[in-house]
Amino acid sequence: MLYKKSTYKSITILLIVLLCVSFFVNIGLGSVSISLKEIFLTIIGHQENYIIQHYRLPKAFTAVLAGSGLGISGLLMQTLFRNPLAGPFVLGISSGASLGVAIVILGSSLMGGFLATVFISKWSIVIAASLGSFIVLLAVMIVAAKIRDTMAILIIGLMFGSITAALVSVLSYFSSAELIQQYVFWGFGNLGNLTWYEVVIFFSIYAVGIVLSMMSMKNLNTLLLGENYAKSLGLNVKKSRFIIIIATCLLAGSVTAFAGPIAFIGLAVPHIARQIFNTSNHKILLPSVFIIGSIVMLICDSISQLPSSDYTLPINAITSLFGAPVVIWLLLRKRKMVF
Amino acid sequence: MSLINQHVVLNADNLFVGYKTHASKTIIASNINFELKQGELVGLVGVNGIGKSTLLRTLTGVQNALSGTIFLNGKHLQAFTNIEVAKVMSVVLTERIVTKNLSVFEIIALGRHPYTNWLGNLHKIDHAMINTAMSQTNIENLKHKKCFELSDGQLQKVMIARALAQDTDLIILDEPTTHLDMYHKVSALKLLQNLVKDTGKTILFSSHEIDLAIQLCDKMIVMTEHEVISGSPRALIEKGTFENLFPDDMIVFDNKTKNFRVKK
Amino acid sequence: MFNLTVKTLNNIIFEKTITLKFSTLFLLSLLLFSCIENNKSDTIFDSTNVKSAENSYATGFSLNNYDGWDVLEIYSPWPNSQKNYHYLIKHKFDTINKLLPVFDYDGIIEIPVEKIIVTSTTHIPALELLGTENTLIGFPGTQYVSSEKTRLRIDNGEVRELGNNETINTEIVLDLKPDILVGYGIGNQNKALETINNSGTSVLYNGDWVEASPLGKAEWIKFFGILYDKKKEADSIFDIIETNYMAAKTLAQNVKKRPKVLCGAMHNNVWYLPQGTSPEAQILKDANVNYLWGDTKGKGSLALNFESIFEKAQNASLWFSPSYYNSYEELMLASTHYSQFNAFKNKSIYSFANTKGATGGVLYYELGTARPDLVLKDIIKISHPTLLQEYNTYFFKPLQ
Repeated sequence: MLYKKSTYKSITILLIVLLCVSFFVNIGLGSVSISLKEIFLTIIGHQENYIIQHYRLPKAFTAVLAGSGLGISGLLMQTLFRNPLAGPFVLGISSGASLGVAIVILGSSLMGGFLATVFISKWSIVIAASLGSFIVLLAVMIVAAKIRDTMAILIIGLMFGSITAALVSVLSYFSSAELIQQYVFWGFGNLGNLTWYEVVIFFSIYAVGIVLSMMSMKNLNTLLLGENYAKSLGLNVKKSRFIIIIATCLLAGSVTAFAGPIAFIGLAVPHIARQIFNTSNHKILLPSVFIIGSIVMLICDSISQLPSSDYTLPINAITSLFGAPVVIWLLLRKRKMVF
Repeated sequence: MSLINQHVVLNADNLFVGYKTHASKTIIASNINFELKQGELVGLVGVNGIGKSTLLRTLTGVQNALSGTIFLNGKHLQAFTNIEVAKVMSVVLTERIVTKNLSVFEIIALGRHPYTNWLGNLHKIDHAMINTAMSQTNIENLKHKKCFELSDGQLQKVMIARALAQDTDLIILDEPTTHLDMYHKVSALKLLQNLVKDTGKTILFSSHEIDLAIQLCDKMIVMTEHEVISGSPRALIEKGTFENLFPDDMIVFDNKTKNFRVKK
Repeated sequence: MFNLTVKTLNNIIFEKTITLKFSTLFLLSLLLFSCIENNKSDTIFDSTNVKSAENSYATGFSLNNYDGWDVLEIYSPWPNSQKNYHYLIKHKFDTINKLLPVFDYDGIIEIPVEKIIVTSTTHIPALELLGTENTLIGFPGTQYVSSEKTRLRIDNGEVRELGNNETINTEIVLDLKPDILVGYGIGNQNKALETINNSGTSVLYNGDWVEASPLGKAEWIKFFGILYDKKKEADSIFDIIETNYMAAKTLAQNVKKRPKVLCGAMHNNVWYLPQGTSPEAQILKDANVNYLWGDTKGKGSLALNFESIFEKAQNASLWFSPSYYNSYEELMLASTHYSQFNAFKNKSIYSFANTKGATGGVLYYELGTARPDLVLKDIIKISHPTLLQEYNTYFFKPLQ
């Protein structure tokens, strides 16, 4: 049963409203209670409040970028590999980033001198994560260029993931408890503590990824018929595959570099969007995944702040705890998977 | 039998098809020469494993030919860009499409891919072509259904409609009659015959239904162990091509009734 | 027009080599940028205008005077750090009628500090010794604090819980607006501290744990003395500690018998114990005992297998600090091999793990750094029972 155009419109408007609400809820909740009036005044610029302006607002924007970026890159991967269980990290992006960060954090005791100067800087984690995911992606792409079968790329990505995980465990074995703890905490993911400057850099890389995804919208739909049909329709399969992979790398890679590896969002949000809109058409899915991904991330971050408590929970735990039951519920309701 | 020189849509010239690896070359079929003219319904037949699919894959560009040339509308196939080929040649394959969640309309609309802009927006002409394709295949009533709700036969009509919407001179179908019962086999081939008559397109299909092909096609391409021969069904019968097609311990070809009979 | 831009984008992106070049260029420039950012602060600190107050043992910080400005300098607050920090010290009631200096500095600290957050229990004794514990307004992991004075303040809600040091609750810190946050780093990758530093609170890295000698670690009380404008008090407190330490050391020198000593315990079949020139081993040396690995060099821990330990130390008469184990029973449960040591059989194992505060914090970790004199006296009393007859051990107790 197809939805009418008006149904699509009303659902979309509802989602946009939900997005704005979650944004404000996210800014409003935190360990320190701030009155609604003060929040409102600060946002419209009549008042200065350091926590809101320099901690919560950047965090909320990071959440939007992370949620939408992961959701869209997950959608891209699911279509490209024709696999409902694919996520943004199947190409080894998060394992590459983890390896890069592990080398910086865990390996820092092994290195000294010049290398230490280069590594221990404000941007060390970001650069290490980017370089790591870039190198692993490059390795996957080089191997994939020799293979026509898209499925094989999936397996290669997974294998590289195993290699990097093994290297990380070797590094961990020789490290002190404090360093390991630091590394583990990076792995929990963290949306906060980015300066506005860093958010802008994050946004620039993310924006390129979004543009590439938008350029691929039509090709993604055509790929739904299968690669042979797509080729017969004039699609340059290799080239579009390449663009889609680059877009994923930019989106998922920048999120991982700036906020750590955040699980589950990339896998679940496209499914939620498909269930809500009952379609596989990417012209509808791309914007809806953007909105839904942002909403989910904002809500998860609000929960992880444990409002009015001194403690915070790691974002990764919340995204998994929140998202998995939602997908199960949606599937049970519809009784069959819309893919 | 018109005396007007019809336009040649596809021309295979001294074609060799097969597989090439780093080490070796396997020739599946050699010395293939045939012409497909405008407005012809052409059936490609041969025994199992003779290489029908390989030939079709080579013609559609999925596989590279070992040697020889293919001309589309008089132009070298290699000289075309992907999009240009897509505007001249469309396919209907046996493989199942990946997503069953698309609606019939959306699938047919994808046939307009070579013509639409980067967003895939459909203009009036695109809608017109889609509607025409649907009426030509008689599936207007299925317009808003999702693919997983269709039967195999309906799905095939949808894929044919998609190829029609692609507005090409040539449509190639790989084994469109497999999995269908007798009535629907005939119905599918009749549909192809009507399309050829109504639209003037050239349709090439491969099939195991040699009887039906003989009755319905304007031209046939027969692949045997030794050669690939093409011609009108009548000419091929006169040549005795079908008599030697199968081993004669169980079936024989009857020239008069123009079909195969089981040997008693 | 859209199509044109899309087309050119298409062309650029499809050229794989160009993409590779672009991306490597981009990453290289990120790297360069971070290097340049880094090299800003170590500029003009030559020694022409310097009047410095030298520390006797600590090498991680010093107070110097450049161009009339008091500058607190922190050197390499974590291992392999190349970065030094410089803070201008200014008295709260001084009006600045001189121009801010030309050289780069990491912040201005107004003394005396009125609100402070510290992040390690080793910082707390310094506050209490200087009588400034009332300025502490937050701490990550308050359950580890043992000292009674501060525990009382925590229970009264005067010290906010801040979570874990690695994921310190940024919002609460921003809300508390401390003058200073004293952190300690394994590297400066703690993003939360970045945010806090940008908000106006000066984040200072305390490098006491990097110091190579026990008195060097204790001398960091002078670091806090600077922050509270109590330099003289800090100096005299340290003098007392130093004098106590030296007196104990001299006392131990005269002993004839030097018992053989073993330290540490196994984790995952690897035995960890202090290296020969580490601060822990220095105390053992000053206590005039024969630490069986005293010849090894290094500031950290040795990681050896059971056999090499057993061979050397089976008949050691004393065993100190078997990790976190609280009793002979726990040791047996962890590994039956432990029972083969003479020190186990003779029940001469001594540990600080059982000396805890009200909420479970180990006292040695908190006070041991600031009072090496007490640690030394503990070791001397245990190793040479004829000395220090009226002294009761503070941290080390016999294992149960």
